[in-house]
Amino acid sequence: MNDVFLPHVARIVEVWDDTPDTKTFTLSLRDSKDFRFLPGQFLEVSVFGYGEAPFCIASSPTRPDTLQATVRRTGQLTDALHELGNGDEVGIRGPFGNGFDVEGARGKDLLFVGGGIGLPPLRSFIWNVLYERDHFGKVTILYGARTPTDLVYKDELKAWAKRSDVEFHVTVDRAEPGWTGNVGMVPVLFEKTALRPDSTLAYVCGPPIMIKFVVQDLFVRGFKDEAVISTLERMMQCGIGKCNHCAIGHRYVCRDGPVFNYKQIRELVE
Amino acid sequence: MQPIVYTIEKPDIAKWLERLLETAEVIAPVAGYSGEVVFSAISSPAQVLWDFENPLHPAKQFVLPQTDPIVAIKRNGQRHEVEPIYDDSRRVLFNVRSCDVKGIAFLTRMQEMEPADGSYLRRAYSLTVISLTCNTPCPLGFCVCTDSGPFLNGDYDIQLTDLGGKYLAEVGSEKGEAAVSNAANLFRTATEGEVSLRKRLETAARNRFGQETCHFASAMRRISTGRVQDALWEKISDWCLECGGCSLICPTCYCFSVRDRARDGNWIRYRIWDSCQYTAFTLEASGHNPHEQRKDRIKRRFFHKVSAQYYMRDGTVGCVGCGRCIKVCLGTADMPAVVAAIRKGKWHE
Repeated sequence: MNDVFLPHVARIVEVWDDTPDTKTFTLSLRDSKDFRFLPGQFLEVSVFGYGEAPFCIASSPTRPDTLQATVRRTGQLTDALHELGNGDEVGIRGPFGNGFDVEGARGKDLLFVGGGIGLPPLRSFIWNVLYERDHFGKVTILYGARTPTDLVYKDELKAWAKRSDVEFHVTVDRAEPGWTGNVGMVPVLFEKTALRPDSTLAYVCGPPIMIKFVVQDLFVRGFKDEAVISTLERMMQCGIGKCNHCAIGHRYVCRDGPVFNYKQIRELVE
Repeated sequence: MQPIVYTIEKPDIAKWLERLLETAEVIAPVAGYSGEVVFSAISSPAQVLWDFENPLHPAKQFVLPQTDPIVAIKRNGQRHEVEPIYDDSRRVLFNVRSCDVKGIAFLTRMQEMEPADGSYLRRAYSLTVISLTCNTPCPLGFCVCTDSGPFLNGDYDIQLTDLGGKYLAEVGSEKGEAAVSNAANLFRTATEGEVSLRKRLETAARNRFGQETCHFASAMRRISTGRVQDALWEKISDWCLECGGCSLICPTCYCFSVRDRARDGNWIRYRIWDSCQYTAFTLEASGHNPHEQRKDRIKRRFFHKVSAQYYMRDGTVGCVGCGRCIKVCLGTADMPAVVAAIRKGKWHE
């Protein structure tokens, strides 16, 4: 019998601001170091006194010593989390969910399409790929946000743009003074790159409306259902398929997901 | 285990209860403050009711309390220590009805699914369930439709049947055997005649459900294949006031949320009952809510309870036919009404 609700205590070892309402927290387990996970899996983070909420792991599994979570302020728990800093403690349970199939992606071309705060789960996968670059084909990253201010990981975006082994494009819905890059919704970036639907796996993460348009575009451009992979968003509480908040039909986003390809998504009945 | 069947004379029941009270908390249906029947811990055998209306609140509260402490969080400056909270104290649930026995068995199966929930299971495994069969069906019950009464073939530790001057006691588990051997001198092995009387009583009780017809199978076919019109869900949902009462009194409902509450400068983390009928149940941090409309939440509730997808996973429908939702629903969105509407494809007007 497991103590399925008992969190591990973790220390915050670094915090940085991504946007005015988004911070990235770097966590280190206080009492045990053995923590293996896959990109796309998530944690239940306890802010003691406030309860728990799910956040995807934004850091690479090839660097398991620390875990990162990128968190937007949207309510009591995230408000309280944003007040915490270096040395403060939180609880974590997990990792939960199926995660991205990294092994199955080896040798393939990879297309990552992120929108706004949807980049963190892809970032985990992207760094996994970049640390083991030789094992993967062409890597393309397309990223969009509402404004330049809303872009997360701004320094890393610059680094990705400079790399010769990654094709990277970024766009914003609305420019701000000083922005000289692309303007428009994420699908405009498809015009900037040569897609190879037959050899490519596309990973799409972002707000529902962005996912809808990106996915439509990918199908028009010849992607098959199985090659378009996304993470589903649901309110999740327990992380282990028991509390029923995240159920879609008889599937649970926290256990059977959150990563699904579009063939699987079409089979979800509700 | 091989069922062992005993009898106990009615005057000896009080002595047996005294013995049980020596080593465990005994919970039984008793008369509440305003005359209603409730499950409560007893201090004397005389409190136990034998001819009673099934309490509105099912016995699930003794395996899955409404606020269930699961983790103690202690803080010392910046440092925190977390400990699991267990409740494995010995309890006996006495004179519980067949439907509630099935409800507890259902909840336990859910929590035994991997990863098993040790917090729930420690409490459930410490509970001895002594049930009382229903020689007379209750007015709203339809347990014959859900294979959860009026008599059971398993899932109890001891099943009592009123044979007139005595009770038949069928032992269904080692916990049940222990509860009998605790007072072995009060029990004697049942005769064949007594066992066959119990069978006749069961048949008679089943027949007294009268013209009760069970439509779960046809409702299941429609609900599992998406053949229930949205307009019908909409009509059903017009008769739901979103009070969540159906979930709270349902012996098989176990949805929950987790909250921290301050206590003495530290915190206790609680698992608390929640209901899929509340708007915020699926509300995401972004503001997006996949079940914002009431008809989607009603659909969710009945998909979970009646669909073939869940039936395949759980082995039963998520209903024990106790009829409590009929009683508690302020409208008419109860299980029999919805099942009938789905089967007919139209709502009663």
